[in-house]
Order: sequence, then structure tokens, then C-alpha cells
Amino acid sequence: MSQFFEYLKMAVSNIRANKMRSFLTMLGIIIGISSVILIMSLGNGARNIITEQMSGIASGQIALYTYDDTGSYEITKDDIAAIKEQVDGIRGINSYMSISGTTSTKKGEFQVQASGQMASYMIFSSTGILKGRYFNETEYLAGQPVCLIGERDAVRIFGSTDVVGMNLDVMLWEKEVTFTIIGVEQAEKESMFTFTYENSPIYIYFPLTVLEQVYGMEFETYYQIYLMAEDGADTGTITTQVVDLLERRHQCIGEDIYQYESFNDYMETVNTVLNVVTMLISLVAAISLIVGGIGVMNIMLVSVTERTREIGIRKALGAKTRSILLQFLSESAIITMIGGLIGIISGVAEAFLVAKIVAAVNPVFAFTPSVSVVTVVVTTVFSSAIGLFFGIYPARKAAKMSPIEALRRN
Amino acid sequence: MNPLIEVRNLMKIYNPGENEVHALDDISLRIDAGEFVAVIGQSGSGKSTFMNMLGCLDVPTSGSYYLNGEDVAGLTDDALSEIRNREIGFIFQGFNLIPNLTALENVELPLIYRNIPAAKRHALSVASLEKVGLKNRMEHKPSEMSGGQQQRVAIARALAAAPPVILADEPTGNLDSASSKEIMQILRDLHKEGRTVILITHDNKIAASAKRVIRIIDGKIVSDTRIKEEGNQDIEAIAAKIEAEGE
Repeated sequence: MSQFFEYLKMAVSNIRANKMRSFLTMLGIIIGISSVILIMSLGNGARNIITEQMSGIASGQIALYTYDDTGSYEITKDDIAAIKEQVDGIRGINSYMSISGTTSTKKGEFQVQASGQMASYMIFSSTGILKGRYFNETEYLAGQPVCLIGERDAVRIFGSTDVVGMNLDVMLWEKEVTFTIIGVEQAEKESMFTFTYENSPIYIYFPLTVLEQVYGMEFETYYQIYLMAEDGADTGTITTQVVDLLERRHQCIGEDIYQYESFNDYMETVNTVLNVVTMLISLVAAISLIVGGIGVMNIMLVSVTERTREIGIRKALGAKTRSILLQFLSESAIITMIGGLIGIISGVAEAFLVAKIVAAVNPVFAFTPSVSVVTVVVTTVFSSAIGLFFGIYPARKAAKMSPIEALRRN
Repeated sequence: MNPLIEVRNLMKIYNPGENEVHALDDISLRIDAGEFVAVIGQSGSGKSTFMNMLGCLDVPTSGSYYLNGEDVAGLTDDALSEIRNREIGFIFQGFNLIPNLTALENVELPLIYRNIPAAKRHALSVASLEKVGLKNRMEHKPSEMSGGQQQRVAIARALAAAPPVILADEPTGNLDSASSKEIMQILRDLHKEGRTVILITHDNKIAASAKRVIRIIDGKIVSDTRIKEEGNQDIEAIAAKIEAEGE
């Protein structure tokens, strides 16, 4: 195969002899490849950041609810106990009820969204505690009026986060409830899913049972509960098991009384949509790659016509069909491969540039472009394939020339 | 001893059927190793077609052609490429050098196709260029050389692989008289070294360098004359003799 090296050398010397032309031909491939890489990298990077931010909020959560007008299918405390006992992979079960009210402090008057939660709230809270602690099972069962408040909200109404132990009077449903603050939750990391606006209400979280104490409500059944899967547990299996269990307990097997939404399912849908969008845009970019390939073929055809005499000379001197074929094929392959290489490098560079610009314009959307090895390998193979595919016709045309015909031409 | 070239009843017919053109009409001929043969004829006489046959650039319609003992009349394109590479050194009227290669690279071409390793190839090519007096022009491109120099590069290319047959098609056709003389001197020297040289020309003066003159008219061999060495005979006189024979 030492001769193959000679054909490569011939190809390289000819590409160098026509620098401008070779570069312009390459440009088509460069633009095609770099667009594909750019879009794939941005798409992957965006998907990563969306997944990451959304997982932070609700990964592993399953919402289970029933549309029940008779009341006989609502989920009871016994149901919850049974689920905890019989289904593996569940970290906790929660249900909540939000009511709105107002509070006034030295800083003024504020709207309040008060959210009664179960003791497992600590599992569902995505941010973690900054000061103090979550309420515990005992406080929950006793219906003690303790509450948690967010870091930013604490600053808004008290001017400080050192609020553990302070009391907060809230008017809820025309009754004043005095909550003792036992914990301050960390502020959420700023992400594209946080929406804060002026005069947004103060959020507090307290044991749901407080509502029983204050208003005499009874929380025996729930129309909606939340399950938190253990890390790595299959939310699909858990959901099926829980729904089966509930259907058995309420004798409604197969009646679709219990509905569910799994965050992980939702995430998969989002991922699929993002993938499809990325693929579609990449397809458009790939079309430019094909246009580039046609450019290569076009130039190679011109080159074959221009070099008819050279082909005749080579054949007269002993070049075989295969030699000429390989020489011309090498030329188009080298053009597309160099173009592909430059395309990959500039595509990656462009992706990082775009990410930098995005980060500078709006840090919330900041993300790192993700260049996958698969993308690079696939585009490299694709660009080489384009070179060979579009090079083969001109190369065959050259190789099949008869030496006398070729020599006769000027 | 087997002849180097043996051609029997060679026919080449273009446009078979209605407007048949018999470019070569029943040519039979043998050329031994070491001969210096001139094939002469006017344009249209069929000498170019004959040269294409001898050079294995084209295949005959019928007849047989034994080159170095091998029947080449019915070979495939690739087999013919191999024969050309191994057996024939071409010198063309238009030099036929590849413009973007240097003199040295041009000379190396047939050696590349013969699969000779780079070091040996380089040595052979340099030696060949030295022989035609162009050692100092090896890195020049054809466009940087005179016609005579370009033809010398072409001769070096034909010689480099030491093929048994040197086939020169109007080698001086594009050259001034001084360069022509140089080129013919090189061909005569090659013959003296024992190489077989076949010269295709329409010019009697050029043909006069040869030791045997074959005249083709209308695709037929009309004469085949050996030129006797009569001391230091004048080229002009021989040319006149050839001229006279042709009439």
C-alpha cells in the first residue's frame, strides 16, 4: 500500500497548487460541519442545564390524584400508611393545602401564601435549610403553629434572616394565627424557572394539622398526594404499584380513578421534545453539508476536465484505472476531511462563543455547551463519507478516460 | 532470438460499416532489440495510429502484436497500462510534462506507477536527468524551462525506468533546429548504448538519424529500408536518399 501514500501526496500537492479554489470548496464543508456541531452542542448544553435546573426542583416527584365526586375514592391516612408499608422505593409521602392571608410587620403589610404541609415536607423541599430546622413528626401530630420561611422573604419582612424563634402573626381566613418561626429555607438558586416579581406573596410552610387546630377542619382524606421516590428508584414501577394498591383498597380495579403525573416522565417528554428540535435544526444544517458536498463534486468535475491531458499522460506512463481513481478520490477526501476538521473546531468554538454571549446577556440562562464524542465522530464520518460519495463520480470519470483520447485534448 | 516487436496482419478500422476507414491495413513487421527505426509518413498516413498500437495506447481491430514475446493485442486497459509502464518509454511531440510538477517529479512518475521505493526512485530519476544534462534543473517546473529542456526532461522520464523500447513521436516537432539537433543526438547516443529506438516522423532529415526507415502510406507499409553505414555519411545525403525512395 506504499503506492496509496503516493496518491495522497499527489492529491495534497494538487490541492496546494490550487489554494484559493481548494479553500473555497472546503468552506462549504466547513460551514456545514460547524453548523451541525454548533447546533448539537448548544442543544445538548441547553438540555443539560434545563434538566439540571428542573431536577433541582422536583426530581423523583410523583403527583397522585383522584377526580372523585363521591368521596369514597379519596386517599385516606390508612391508604398512605399502606403505601409506605407495601411499596418499596418511596422516601416520603406528602400532601398540602395552601391558603392566602396577610401579615403586617414593621416593614409593612404583605400578602401571605401559607402552605400546610405534612412532616415529610423536609424531603420535598428542594432548597435546604439555612437556619433553624424543619418541623418534625411530633409537631405535626400536635398541630403546633410553627413555620418555615424563605431566606428572601425573611429579609423582606424582617430585614434579616436571624428570625428563628420570632413570632409571625398572620391573618388567615379571618383568624389571626401566631406562628413561631423555626427555620429559614435557603433561597432557590436563580434559574430560568424562578419567577419573582414585586409584591409577590410571602411564602410560609407549616404543619397541615394547624388548620385542624385553628379551624376544626379534619384531614382524614386527600384528593391529591405527592410521593418522593428514592434516588435512582424507577418512578414508573412505583406509580404502577401505588395505583394498583389504591385500586385494590378502593375496589375500583382498572377504572382509572387514580391519575398521576411523574416528574421523571415529564422530564422525559421535555427531553424528547428538545431532542427532536435539536435533530430538526441539525437536519437543516446537514442539508448545508450536502450542498457543500455538491460543491466538492462540482470542483472535482471541473478539475477532471481541466486535467484531462494530465490524466492522459499519467495513463500513458502506466497509471491504472485504480491509480487515477485513488488520486482523485484522495483529493476530494482530503478537502472534505480538512474541511470537516476545521468545521469541528470552529463549530465548538462558535458554541462556546454563543454560550459566553448568552451568559453575559442573561446569567440565568448561562450554560456550558456540551460537545459529545458521538457528535464529533458522527460528523467526521459523515464528512468523509460526503467526500467519498461526491468524489467518486468525478474520480471514476477521470479513471475511465482512454489515454489516447485524453492526450489528444488540449 | 525472438524479435522485440512482432506485428502480424495488424488492422485498425475506424467507423466499421458504412464509412470504414482503414487506418492500418494489414501491417506486418518485426523489430529486433537494439534497432533504431524511423517510421515515416505524411499526416493521415496512419503512422500515428501505428505508433498508438506500438505504444499499447490503443488496441488493433484484428491481427496480433507480440511485444517482448507477449501477445498484447487483446489485453485489458489495466494490463496495457502495466505493459506501457514496463516496456515503453514515450517521448511525445508536445513533451507532455505535468505542469505543476517539477522536472524531477515528472521523471519519477513512471517509477511511482511501477511501485519503486522512494529512495531508489529518486536515485534513478536523478541519474536519468543527469544523462540528459539537466541535473541543475531538477527542481524547475516545465514552465520555467525552454522547449528543448522540456523535451530532455521527457527523454529522462522515458529512460528512467530503462524500458526496452523508446518510442518517440515527432520528438522535434515543436522545437527549433538547434534544440532538434540536441535531441536527435541524444536519441543517437541511446541507440549506440544498445537501446531500441522507434522514431515516428514526417521529416526525412529526422528519419535520417535512424538505421532503418519504414514508410507508411494509407495505412500500408510501402517500403522498409536499412540504411547502410557508409563511413561518415552526411545526414542531408541520407535524407535525400530517403526522399528519393519515397517517390
